[in-house]
Amino acid sequence: MEGTLAIGKAWILHRKNETGQCSGRTLDEAFGHEASRLKEYIENGPAPEVFSAHLEILEDPLLHDTIQRNVAEGMTPAEAVKAAAKEISGMFNEVGDDYFKARIDDLRDVCEGIVEYLDETCGNPFENLPDDAVVVAQELFPSDTVKMDLGKVKAIVTRKGSTTSHVGIIARSRGIPFVPGADIDGITTGDLLLIDAGNSLVKINPTINEVEAFRNMMAKGNEVPETMIQSIRENGVKVLGNAGSIKDIEEAIRNGADGIGLFRTEFLFLDRDERPSEEDQYQIYKEAVEACQGRPLTIRTMDIGGDKPSPGLIIPKEDNPYLGMRGIRLSLSLPEIFKEQIRAILRASAHGKVRMMLPMVTRVEELIQAKELVEECDSSSDLEIGVMIETPAAALISDLLAEEADFFSIGTNDLTQYVMAADRGNASVSYLNDPLDEAVVRAVKIVVEAAHKKGIPVGVCGEAGSDPEVAKVLCELGVDSLSLGSPALIKELRPL
Amino acid sequence: MIAKKLTIGAPDGLHARPAGDLVKLVKSFPGTQVTMSTAVRSVNASSILSILSLALKKGTEVEIKAVGPDEEKALAEVTRFLESF
Repeated sequence: MEGTLAIGKAWILHRKNETGQCSGRTLDEAFGHEASRLKEYIENGPAPEVFSAHLEILEDPLLHDTIQRNVAEGMTPAEAVKAAAKEISGMFNEVGDDYFKARIDDLRDVCEGIVEYLDETCGNPFENLPDDAVVVAQELFPSDTVKMDLGKVKAIVTRKGSTTSHVGIIARSRGIPFVPGADIDGITTGDLLLIDAGNSLVKINPTINEVEAFRNMMAKGNEVPETMIQSIRENGVKVLGNAGSIKDIEEAIRNGADGIGLFRTEFLFLDRDERPSEEDQYQIYKEAVEACQGRPLTIRTMDIGGDKPSPGLIIPKEDNPYLGMRGIRLSLSLPEIFKEQIRAILRASAHGKVRMMLPMVTRVEELIQAKELVEECDSSSDLEIGVMIETPAAALISDLLAEEADFFSIGTNDLTQYVMAADRGNASVSYLNDPLDEAVVRAVKIVVEAAHKKGIPVGVCGEAGSDPEVAKVLCELGVDSLSLGSPALIKELRPL
Repeated sequence: MIAKKLTIGAPDGLHARPAGDLVKLVKSFPGTQVTMSTAVRSVNASSILSILSLALKKGTEVEIKAVGPDEEKALAEVTRFLESF
């Protein structure tokens, strides 16, 4: 199968520190730097009074308090400054007078100066990444996959992390072999590495014979096992695509997906300066529907929690965000914001087949409340509304959920993590993170039976479905669809 | 705590430069807390951003409060400033 074997040269990632964020400069240094810059402008610049107001802003106790609070909540210095600027700008929103409103620009100017200084040391650690590289790192973060040119990456080897982490998912969707939990101490930049991700093997500086044998294995091995193709065809299982962008949808459909089983909407809410309006969302969802070319699109409502800061959604810091305010819990606590998303989905549903999927459901009431909100937005709507089965609670009450839901989608990664009580990012308990563990298989079985008793379809949208062995078991358990992240795998399973 | 109400008289209102001067004045009374309140909200007068967010235009009524060791002097000087800037 694509994405398990690779040959390449080791390239070890060096960061300023290993937290994944650039440190280098402190807030105090950045404020000091900005102050001296402003003082120089006041003395030599064209408009000293403007910069003297800027200096006053720099010393503003409200700004300092807000930044300190943000830092205490876990933000990096630069994030804390940006978030503070945004929050304080909000105070000016109700001001009708243009002059005073324009003071937001002064605040932004000052804050951007600080952020620029803080970020200056950052740079892109992947700037000098060579071709055909095996990226070797203590740990990678999702943002790293944006910073590196994935076209140059043959494989990724990390000490921390797991195949179901976000980096693992991204690597898989790009067909890049990924070996987490590896012993990387013996690797030096430039070493030739043989990677067998399926068996978590990394061979450092192999002999010529070993390379030869490995190349032969690659020629044969990068194929989808016939058994996986068979079990999918024999059981009449649909092959859908997972997508986090319009581009992903286009690729999945181009490779023959029967539809999109999971369209993540978080990208609309994260890494942005402002919360998207209903109109912004509608435009994206409409584009997504159109990219599906008549095949069904399953839009998952925002799956955001305390671990992902999002503009306009203030989530207090939580000790354990995976057991906290996230998914449907957060959406229902912010009904006005949730209704913007619902209305955008309803409007997009006029352009094709759209289903709405709720993440992190644990009680029937959550589904009923969400349905009521849909009803409030459009009382004549016949939008299909389904739930993700990713908590043990949802699996245990799947018979009750089936009474109210139009479909189920099992999120195998989270379901495994929650059933096994094993953090999916923690390499030391990764042996428990097994979707074929008896407990997880039983949970899936309960869900499939409950769904079919009520005549509703049940799919799987977790990455585990890409594993031939897991896929075979899921097909035999009776799931109706597998939604997969890798377009290459979709292509193999659904030859055009 | 002592307090006084007044109406902003300056034609341009309390814009950035005089707001900055006001903050400097307030800070010259360390230990004394000065707040300014309008119908909208009440803010700390040592924060220029907070003061500007009040959008004090000509004709706006504002209440000044001072608490602390220099409260009388602070209130008197802040009042004089706001009536004359």
